[in-house]
Amino acid sequence: MITIIKRVELPGLAVAALAVCVLAALCLGEPRLRPATALAALTDPAHPLRVPVWEVRLPRALLGLVAGAGLAAAGLLLQDVLRNPIAGPELLGVSSGAAVVVATIVVLGLGVPLVVQPWAALAGAVVAGALVLLAIGRTRDPAHVALVGAAVSAACGGLVVAVVGLGTQGNVVVLFRYLLGSLAARGWPHLETVTPLVAAGVGAAWLLRRRVEALTLGDDVAAGLGVPVTRTRVAAVGVAALLAAAVASVCGPVAFVALLAPHLARRLLGTVSTRRVLPLAVLLGGLLLALADLASRLLLYPVELPVGIATTLVGVPALVLLSRRTAVPA
Amino acid sequence: MRWRLSALVLLTPVAGVALVLAHLFLGRSDVPAPAVLRVLTGRETEPAYALIVLDYRLPRVLVGLGAGALLAVSGVLVQAVVRNPLAEPATTGVGAGAALAVVGTLVLWPGHALAYPAALGGALATGAVLYVVGRRSFAVTGVLLGAVLAALTSLLLVVDSAPISVVLRWLVGSLNARTPQDWTLLWPWLVVVLPTAWLLASRLNVWVLGEPAATGLGLRTGPVLAVVLLVAVAGAAAAIAAAGAVAFVGLVAPHVGRLLAGADHRVLIPVSAVLGALLLSLADLVAFSVSVQLPGIATDVSGVPVGAVTALIGAPVLASLVRRENRA
Repeated sequence: MITIIKRVELPGLAVAALAVCVLAALCLGEPRLRPATALAALTDPAHPLRVPVWEVRLPRALLGLVAGAGLAAAGLLLQDVLRNPIAGPELLGVSSGAAVVVATIVVLGLGVPLVVQPWAALAGAVVAGALVLLAIGRTRDPAHVALVGAAVSAACGGLVVAVVGLGTQGNVVVLFRYLLGSLAARGWPHLETVTPLVAAGVGAAWLLRRRVEALTLGDDVAAGLGVPVTRTRVAAVGVAALLAAAVASVCGPVAFVALLAPHLARRLLGTVSTRRVLPLAVLLGGLLLALADLASRLLLYPVELPVGIATTLVGVPALVLLSRRTAVPA
Repeated sequence: MRWRLSALVLLTPVAGVALVLAHLFLGRSDVPAPAVLRVLTGRETEPAYALIVLDYRLPRVLVGLGAGALLAVSGVLVQAVVRNPLAEPATTGVGAGAALAVVGTLVLWPGHALAYPAALGGALATGAVLYVVGRRSFAVTGVLLGAVLAALTSLLLVVDSAPISVVLRWLVGSLNARTPQDWTLLWPWLVVVLPTAWLLASRLNVWVLGEPAATGLGLRTGPVLAVVLLVAVAGAAAAIAAAGAVAFVGLVAPHVGRLLAGADHRVLIPVSAVLGALLLSLADLVAFSVSVQLPGIATDVSGVPVGAVTALIGAPVLASLVRRENRA
């Protein structure tokens, strides 16, 4: 009985929280609006406040949702098929590999159209991710993953700093977008680039959910259940890389949403079942990133923080606490 | 193994001398080769040449060699501590701690030249924090600690972006514009850290067997762990304060050292130190020799930070090393 309530209520609560969060994102800031005014500006194209609400705040809030959802799905897939609690695009070098490519394209003005950038980023993500996965080999030791991922991410970070430092004479905003991730100055074109990819990726994750869940029981059990082990693992890692690359190409390597959202969802649902965790994890990922972005916009107003700072500063302690309670080594 | 070692003993001095000479003879300012020779033999009458060779090029190559050796030895020690050959000094988060301290002091007291003590203090403090909180898994804790410290650094930089040009040096690692003073600050660390690390070698050989075996063989694991971590962090801190958080040297040098000299720390530590010194200095030679034409900037950019070079060459090297290891 309790589980049924949880299954209905938790996603419902998450959706409600998302709606509140988007509304808050539309209203807060300068100028500060009443909810009624914000909604009026949304529906009426001739409204005097149309530009800040429709052109600036709405796409940014939605981008936070979409990117967070994509990251959460990527994190869940990686954690489950690699059976590693700290697998996530940010610790597998996938996000930073993508960020290096996009930073190079954008900073050096290579003239790659926005629509193609996620695919270029995917190439970087796959190279960095493949390097890390190759180095991890068959071990499931979280320390091993953290070490290799940290080495590759550090190298990618070094390259980003070098590219941005040389190309823009140290433009802080650009630097932090590709070093930490930021949603600043993103608009409809960015949202339109990333949304189809995230939708496809989350859809693929949904289709893979049963096979991935079988993999969490161990390779032998999964094979016994008739699941093609290697093909499923490759497919899931590929989908996760696509999701992380799509998000990183637009927002940079936002960290710890992908790690945290699945853990949080498992804890709230009290289960590790992939197919039951996936919907809530996706919702929570969107909620986390949208909230973090709201906080980054407002906390030090008029200075705007890169959202990656907020997700890291909140995400790491939360991850440590969660893993301590569930006795999963973090 | 034996012939590899003797080849190493024969070849590394040659390589070292060649590197130092290359550093002294090559550079952006045009000093004729005979003039460099005259400077080295103390017979140069043109003070500008002596200044360039002795006060710019010589400290740069010395700091590069010293920092490389320290990073490599620190890498060996960190890898021993976490019993995992994929660890490196950056795993402990000390580089992020150094950067945070540098930015913090620059934000609080702009214009003061506190960068060196700040970097050193920040790195050492991070090591202390890691030792206190990281008992369960130094590797995972170090990585997470590094992420938090880097985020805090960024937070400060967003609020006050004035120190950014100074900080970029620390974040990537660069040997550009080293002065004799940098070498003066670095060599005492070499004198202390390298012999201490070597004295710990036989204990490390026992420690890497694992906690139960080490205890059974009579190793007092608690104190040994503390001392090894302290030496590792001190070495990394000194190197980072001198050259910034250069990636991969502390990872690749011990790997190559293990391939050439085996896993015995009594041999591995000196071999890695030599390899790390050569590696960083060689990468620096590449860094200041290449000049790239960036779109959007009129002139060529030369003086690429050495950290960008090590990051570029380090990743494929790491991949091939790991593949060899998996096959073996």
